[in-house]
Amino acid sequence: MAQVHFSAGLRDLTGGLAQVEVEATTVRRLVAALEEMFPGLGDRLSEASSVAINGEIFTDAEFEPVDSDSEVHFLDIFQGG
Amino acid sequence: MAITEENPGYKWVGTRPIRPDGLEKVTGKAQFGADLMLPGMLFGKVVRSPHAHARIVSIDTTAAEAMVGVKAVITGSDFPDLAANGAHASDIDVASNAIAREKVLYEGHVVAAVAATTRDQAEAAAKAVEVTYEVLPHVLTVDEAMADGAPLLHEGMITKGVDPAPENPSNVASKILHERGDLDQGFGEAHVVVEREFTTKPVHQGYIEPHAAVADANTDGRAHIWCSSQGHFQMRAYSATVLGVSPGNLKVTAAEIGGGFGGKTVIYLEPLAVRLSQRAGRPVKLVMDRDEVFRATGPTSGTRIRVKMGVSEDGKITAAEVWMAYEAGAFSGSPVGAAGMTAIACYDIPNFVVEGYDVVCNKPRVAAYRAPGAPMAAFAVESVLDELARDIGMDPIDIRLANAAVEGTQASYGPKFPRIGFVETLEAIKDHPNYTADLGPNQGRGVSAGFWFNAGMMSSATVHINENGSATVVTGSPDIGGSRQSMALMAAEELGIPYESIKAVVADTETVGFNDVTGGSRVTLATGAAVVDACRIIVEDLRARAAKTWDVEVDQVEWVEGQAQHVEGTQPPLSLNDLAAKSGRTGGPISANASLNSRGVGAGFSTQLCDVEVDPETGVTRVVRYLTAQDAGRAISPDYVEGQMQGGVVQGIGWALNEEYIHNPDGVMENPSFLDYRIPVASDLPMIDCAIVEVPNPAHPYGVRGVGEVGIVPPMAAVGNAIRDAIDVRMTDLPMSPVRILEALNEQSD
Amino acid sequence: MKYVAPSSVEEATSLLSTSPSAQVFAGATDVVPQLRAGRSAPEVLVDLKKIQELVSIVKDDTKWTVGAATPTANLTEDQAFSEEFQGLSEAAGLIGSDQIQNRSSLGGNLCNGSPAADSVPAMVVNGVRAVIAGPNGTRVLDVAEVVTGPGQLSLEDDEFIVEFEIDRMPERSGDAYLRMIPRTEMDIAVVGAGARVTLAEDGSIEEAIVALGAVAPTVVRVPEAEAALVGNTPNEQTLSAVAGAASEVCNPIDDKRGTIAYRKQVAGVLAKRAVLIAVERAQQRNGMK
Repeated sequence: MAQVHFSAGLRDLTGGLAQVEVEATTVRRLVAALEEMFPGLGDRLSEASSVAINGEIFTDAEFEPVDSDSEVHFLDIFQGG
Repeated sequence: MAITEENPGYKWVGTRPIRPDGLEKVTGKAQFGADLMLPGMLFGKVVRSPHAHARIVSIDTTAAEAMVGVKAVITGSDFPDLAANGAHASDIDVASNAIAREKVLYEGHVVAAVAATTRDQAEAAAKAVEVTYEVLPHVLTVDEAMADGAPLLHEGMITKGVDPAPENPSNVASKILHERGDLDQGFGEAHVVVEREFTTKPVHQGYIEPHAAVADANTDGRAHIWCSSQGHFQMRAYSATVLGVSPGNLKVTAAEIGGGFGGKTVIYLEPLAVRLSQRAGRPVKLVMDRDEVFRATGPTSGTRIRVKMGVSEDGKITAAEVWMAYEAGAFSGSPVGAAGMTAIACYDIPNFVVEGYDVVCNKPRVAAYRAPGAPMAAFAVESVLDELARDIGMDPIDIRLANAAVEGTQASYGPKFPRIGFVETLEAIKDHPNYTADLGPNQGRGVSAGFWFNAGMMSSATVHINENGSATVVTGSPDIGGSRQSMALMAAEELGIPYESIKAVVADTETVGFNDVTGGSRVTLATGAAVVDACRIIVEDLRARAAKTWDVEVDQVEWVEGQAQHVEGTQPPLSLNDLAAKSGRTGGPISANASLNSRGVGAGFSTQLCDVEVDPETGVTRVVRYLTAQDAGRAISPDYVEGQMQGGVVQGIGWALNEEYIHNPDGVMENPSFLDYRIPVASDLPMIDCAIVEVPNPAHPYGVRGVGEVGIVPPMAAVGNAIRDAIDVRMTDLPMSPVRILEALNEQSD
Repeated sequence: MKYVAPSSVEEATSLLSTSPSAQVFAGATDVVPQLRAGRSAPEVLVDLKKIQELVSIVKDDTKWTVGAATPTANLTEDQAFSEEFQGLSEAAGLIGSDQIQNRSSLGGNLCNGSPAADSVPAMVVNGVRAVIAGPNGTRVLDVAEVVTGPGQLSLEDDEFIVEFEIDRMPERSGDAYLRMIPRTEMDIAVVGAGARVTLAEDGSIEEAIVALGAVAPTVVRVPEAEAALVGNTPNEQTLSAVAGAASEVCNPIDDKRGTIAYRKQVAGVLAKRAVLIAVERAQQRNGMK
């Protein structure tokens, strides 16, 4: 089960939960699973997040694989200059 | 000076050849956006709002249209109404910023544009466009915008990220929040707690070259745009959105660029030039003057930031509380999100709350500026950390070492850090002779640190081998920091041929695959990775061709220093020249493409040391010595890396000492020129000493970490901490101009 | 718009008298930005740089004569002039930047009428005179009387300054000019202070002239500072009186370059410092130290 962490700004949609375990093989499936657990969360994540998997930050993570050792963080999107 | 972990003995990477763009730039041959002349070209002029906030009651273009030489006049009604088409909110904002629809939201907001045969005619026609406004009350700062009863810019703006969502609209677009541990407990454990409030002003990226675009539109709806930009594919995308056309209808050529720093990752003139060209049936050139650059292009946010931090007796930070409000300008999207993630990212802090607000106000929409969001937060945090170090009598480098994030530290924004080089930059400062150089009267020394993620994103590259064995490296990344040289150096290393035989060029949107903007310190990493991939495909191809030539198996062929060598040694080597000259025999032209969404981005850290001298009777402050230590992972082109390091420092010093937007009560900018918007001049600064630290990024073939941005994150606090050291006054409001410093000194002696 | 380059003073005055909308210029470093900004639109631009007297530097036993359109770089590079009038040379050399120095001139700097002009306080303390040509011949005016307000001159429309006369620096005398700008060049003075002193044989101050720029609509003298200095040495007490008098006489504005309070305070500081430098130079010019 991948460990998924939510920044405080997302916890209004997770009922205050900071961390959750999810079974999924890709980020897309993980987000879909999260949407089922917390309606509305999936949309917010797709819109406003990049994803860090085991410390590496991805801008388009949909098909990145995750597994039971993965630590996943959803981050606010930032822009470079 | 480089502190290198292990240097694998590169032949080209890490060397300092003469820069390829220098000769053209100093002889005036380089083609910048405003240099292009096309037959029949018209000159455009933009009509801009004189008001900070107003409803557009009517626009009458008949007088302008009737004037001699005027070939086209456009207004907001000449562009599709994206809101009505159900477009994405961010696209609607881009389109509304490009040209106003019902309301103008800042002084300088585009209201109309004209094109005429001569510049004088265009200027006269622009003045003849009659606009009737209903002036509305405005807000200029986060304080004004967040006040109860403040006039609203966007009637439907409900703050996102707040639970439960507010009932009433406001000027606060969103809230961000990061939390860990227990703040009260953390402060309870502290030996000393310091709390300060800071303000910073909007500052402009200050590129020497104003925006310029030329558009040549055909009657079939297609157009060719030449523009000064950091990302012509991005300009194509934004222009297509605003114009309501397919991106495939627009061809964009990136002109040589005179600075961007993030401010040219967005569109201003491009869609206007296209529409004018379509209406007039002739090419149109639009160039901003400096006045327009200041009044109408995005600076970075002004801010109000409160920081409270506590440390134990031995210097461990036990708790940190950060509250931030960032100006977004007329449309939401300030970099408060990045500020929230970077504010305390350098340190391993067990208890914290970082809270931030994105606030709209009647000023130009902010645009990215070198590590957007991070410098302001760092100014606040690093100033407070400096006070804490003083209070417990700890050396400023030591207190940072005691709390430094290292590999495995859980970053304040969530994930664990992979291998990073922050500690190495701290040590580089401490070990440098500048750290113990003598200080004279009225002089002081300050330390500061900073972090930036760097970005990866998408790049494409094509590498062609010419028939004589020379090579052309084609990418779509406009060169704002020396990337043509670093691409050529990496290609030279991969192909094993001399750097001088490689030419790196930037192609247009039709002749190279998609490239994200040049920004986010990503090009050396991401576009470099595409170049490296393309070169490796070529090397495999060359091995196969040699194998064919020798009639052996491919595993009998090694590619070494630009030659195919036979492992068994019975065949004489085949050079790239040999294979290229006869490429037809072995399969055809030698060329390869690579397109990727890059992986393995390495974050950047910078620690900086500043010595200042303050004239206690006038408040005039001079930087007398400055050292920056930055982890570049691997400096592909050390000359350019140092240039980026120094550039970030210089901009940070200007931000710290003298740069600010000055508005009158009507929201009109009073200092829209470099006379009174004071960026540093060359004589203001000493040589910026550079220590390139190399802790290679383990996820990249050359260990590259982006270098363009992090250098601007520490300087404001480095200068502020040095001033504190010199005159015992903590400056909390930027800029730390002579007037403000003298006021602070007067207060201190009262 | 027409451009004309007369080769004599008479030709120039004749042009000014006969053209209703004619403007003279030297290096054009103020004129060109003003034209571009639409703040002026003369029909005829009269280039003074082809007139010999306007661009020469002549020294005789009693005075220096400096053409009004002489590039200030020529002045600062004139070693003899710069050694004799250190303050005035330094002030002239502060205008703009190195590149601007090849075009800027004392005449242009004065006649642009900016209260913050860098050469003017130094010219005033050195008693520089302007030789003005017009349709009826020439007249001579103290530089202090040329500018009457921001952008306002006491010259008629058909007059222009041909040259400046600067009497030779007397024995035991020295001059200085200091200004406050936030950066190191390319800024407009927030405060400017000029000083000139002549020392008596016993080393006390026999004569003193102090003038401030950028703190009033025109350059102003500080008579109370001058009075505090005469007959005294520059000790802490006299200098404090100088600073106080300078702050008092200021009538500055709040603008984006400085506040009223800042200008008053710094005027005092710079007046004091300029006086000290002038005294030091006066001592050095006579081997007294």
